[in-house]
Amino acid sequence: MRSTLAALPRVWTTSLFARVPARTRTRVGTLVIAAAALLFPLINSNDADIDAAANALAFAALALGLNIVVGFAGLLDLGYAAFFAIGAYAYGVASSWQWHPEWSSFWEPFRWLDLVARYHQGGGDVVHFQVSFWLMLPLAAAIAAFFGVLFGAPTLRLKGDYLAIVTLGFGEIVPIVARNTPTITNGAMGLNGVAAPQFFGYDFGVDATPYYYVGVALVAVLILTSLRLKDSRVGRAWMAIREDEIAAAAMGVDRVRFKLLAFAIGAAFAGATGTFYVAKLQTATPEMFMFPVSVMVLVMIVFGGIGSVWGVVVGALVLQILQSWFLEDLSQWLHALGRFAGIDWLQHIELASSIELIFGVILVLMMLYRREGLIPATRHVRALSVDEQNVQVARGGFDPVRAITSSDRRTDGPLLEVADLNVRFGGLVALRAVELVVPVQKVVAVIGPNGSGKSTLFNTITGLLPVHTGDIRFAGEEIGRLRPHEVLYQGIARTFQNIRLFPDLTVLENVMIGMHARLATGPVGALLRLPANRREEEAARERACEILSLFGNRLLPRADHLAGSLSYANRRRTEIARALASQPKLLLLDEPTAGMNPAETLELADQIQSLNHYGLTVLLIEHKLDVVAMLADKVIVLDHGEKIAEGPPETVRRDEEVIRAYLGRSAALA
Amino acid sequence: MSDYGVLLQQVVNGLSLGAMYALLALGFTLVYGILELINFAHFNVFMVSSFVGMWALELLGISGQSRVLTGFALAGTLLFAFGVTMVAAGVLGVAVERLSLRPLRGVRGTAAMITTIGVSYILFNAILLTVGAGSENYPNPLPVVRWQFGEVTLELKELLIWGIAVALMLALHFFVSRTRLGKAMRATAQDAEAARMMGVDVDRVIVTAFFLGSALAGAAALIFGLYYNYTSFIIGYTAGLRAFTAAVLGGIGSIPGAMIGGVLIGLIETLGGHLIAVRWTDVIIFSILVLVLVFAPTGLFGRATPTKS
Repeated sequence: MRSTLAALPRVWTTSLFARVPARTRTRVGTLVIAAAALLFPLINSNDADIDAAANALAFAALALGLNIVVGFAGLLDLGYAAFFAIGAYAYGVASSWQWHPEWSSFWEPFRWLDLVARYHQGGGDVVHFQVSFWLMLPLAAAIAAFFGVLFGAPTLRLKGDYLAIVTLGFGEIVPIVARNTPTITNGAMGLNGVAAPQFFGYDFGVDATPYYYVGVALVAVLILTSLRLKDSRVGRAWMAIREDEIAAAAMGVDRVRFKLLAFAIGAAFAGATGTFYVAKLQTATPEMFMFPVSVMVLVMIVFGGIGSVWGVVVGALVLQILQSWFLEDLSQWLHALGRFAGIDWLQHIELASSIELIFGVILVLMMLYRREGLIPATRHVRALSVDEQNVQVARGGFDPVRAITSSDRRTDGPLLEVADLNVRFGGLVALRAVELVVPVQKVVAVIGPNGSGKSTLFNTITGLLPVHTGDIRFAGEEIGRLRPHEVLYQGIARTFQNIRLFPDLTVLENVMIGMHARLATGPVGALLRLPANRREEEAARERACEILSLFGNRLLPRADHLAGSLSYANRRRTEIARALASQPKLLLLDEPTAGMNPAETLELADQIQSLNHYGLTVLLIEHKLDVVAMLADKVIVLDHGEKIAEGPPETVRRDEEVIRAYLGRSAALA
Repeated sequence: MSDYGVLLQQVVNGLSLGAMYALLALGFTLVYGILELINFAHFNVFMVSSFVGMWALELLGISGQSRVLTGFALAGTLLFAFGVTMVAAGVLGVAVERLSLRPLRGVRGTAAMITTIGVSYILFNAILLTVGAGSENYPNPLPVVRWQFGEVTLELKELLIWGIAVALMLALHFFVSRTRLGKAMRATAQDAEAARMMGVDVDRVIVTAFFLGSALAGAAALIFGLYYNYTSFIIGYTAGLRAFTAAVLGGIGSIPGAMIGGVLIGLIETLGGHLIAVRWTDVIIFSILVLVLVFAPTGLFGRATPTKS
């Protein structure tokens, strides 16, 4: 009784909140934030405060950019300030008197475009750059993105930690180059006299308010860009790379392409922000873009929540405002307290000068105690009720669904042909002269003792391991030299022996990443959300649900749960669903029933049979021989990397060499 | 002086710097070999210990370069300074591991590395706030003794640096190859899980790696002070990046690799600075880092690969 009463108000409030649809809630929230941002200078007309807010907005923009690289794609970039510097110097040089090459006819078209002016000087005419701020914003973004690709291309193959040190080096080098090229950058003394932006004849000058509004607009655009990218095929591909690079590649994500894209977009954000920042300060020195800036932006996104768009904005604003307002006040209070209590050292404490120490402490404490940040990127999902958890075990497979049928499907002949395949690791021969034919619409099982090369065979077919010699042909085409995502594109999808889901993404997102290769939306489409993109996304979501429904009520109620929170058997099912989402012609299953109880095993075996029945060709590694006998049309036995038997399950089972390989010589003789 | 003489002199200077980078690189390699973690705190453990060394020498009444010692007094002073600095550095390294890294053992992704950046930043700013931004005149009791070999000048301090570095590296080699804990360390580096199952106390191995690596950084820090006669809050960043490059060049995870990589980076720094321009030294060394990582990721002696499989 007491508990019911206590629960009453909570239920009431939840339902009141829930009565407003989620979309309306988001819209109202966004409107409130936008209104507060727009009205701020009218409420607080103190120029120093508005100036501090404008600076904070610049850092929020940087945090949004770094969040794309670190938060979405999982690439730790410690030299992010380099791109900020590039954008800053781009506008600084293009709008000041610093660099003035001699006039030649080369510059004539630029003068016609009003980008440069011709000035008379003692020794002859010189060029004066006068590129407009508004033109430079996108241009600086493009220049920074170009450098992002340039820096990224050679290094993105490296493991995450090496990437960190390489980017740290780039972050070090860009200011050195700025310092060592004084003709263009005025070296350590810094650029001076950078032109203030003009807006229809109104000169921004040194008043903080117009810069504040430009900052608001910039951050608003970058938030929108981040949100739209995150919730799209592009964002899912990035997060897949972050979660598990190998699985992402096996699911059709072109790793190099999407990492470079993340690097370029992150750099573009920093480039545009650099232009904004330098226009506001009207000066640029190498010291403004050193390592501490990169660390500060990193602290901001860790503090706000890595991968969370609103989180990093809040993180940046809070830390900047802490720095420029709160620490000053706090120091003053401490001084007063010191005077009051007669404590000498309290009167001299300057918290603002120890801001970097505070940042370091925040970074470590957040990593140790709250890695998801202030506003976590993944929201918690309500646990399932007992009713929802009550599984209906369904035998007999499933009915045909649109989701798994694909248009072009031949009905006879070989689908996969492996001929004389050799794979070596150094001196070790993992596969020797393996021959294998998988006919269309059949189920072929690969069995063999542990270490016999079964998974190596799968890894080689899917492009994760290089072919030493030999051919792999799929539907008549040679695929032995293709990269993993290209293999998937051809129509081969797989699961992994040790399950490689994307643990911090939802079940639905996992399955939708499986569709990556079959969807077309790129970064521009994701940003503009044209009707075609919306339709594609809608259809993809529908199909993903349909695929989840193949497994009865096991996965569908958990569509919004994180894959990492699933039970072992459900993780296996999700991995199969993810593979099916790519509309494969051939499905490679690596021990799909491992760790399942007998009932679950039979349920899954029925489902695999249904898949085969409705047109899918299956190549299967399996240890449970009853499953093999039930499903397989043909069995291949591997031992020590060589094929030792092939044939229908019953024949293979009685083969002496197979028995010897599994049970040893004495068992075979007996 | 002929060009050849200048070049040879730069080789001598490069060997001294190389000895220092090698000691510092060993710390990166020891930790990386076991945890596959780039320990950014190492940069500033080095920097902090250069101050510890300075305070240890000042404790003995040595300040600046005015008071010169010889004989037993010099040997005793150096022994004390190196002992104190190396132990302090080792303890600092172990503290970093225990307080900030052990709680993150087993956490996926970049969390541990980001934490070491935070720790490094804390150390950096702690010194900046307490000591100040200026550079400190380093106490140096070494007598200035020079020998002239043709066009090349050899200084006592250089011989001493080489001697100390070689002795420490031999000691490390002995420890890793001959002692029980050293063997446990090599086993853990190859396969931590298997080593754990064979009864190796992996946590103890990790602590040892941090202690040894940091102690060697302490020795490198004292060498830095004695060689350049100054220290500052800023020295960890450049020296650390160069030593890390040395570790990668030699093949990260490989102990002989770190030694040879260190010497090579020292030579590249002095010769590159001489042949091109000192202000571009960082760019040269950094380009080497990128080139090695891209084209020969296992370095000279490496076994761990920095590329994804």
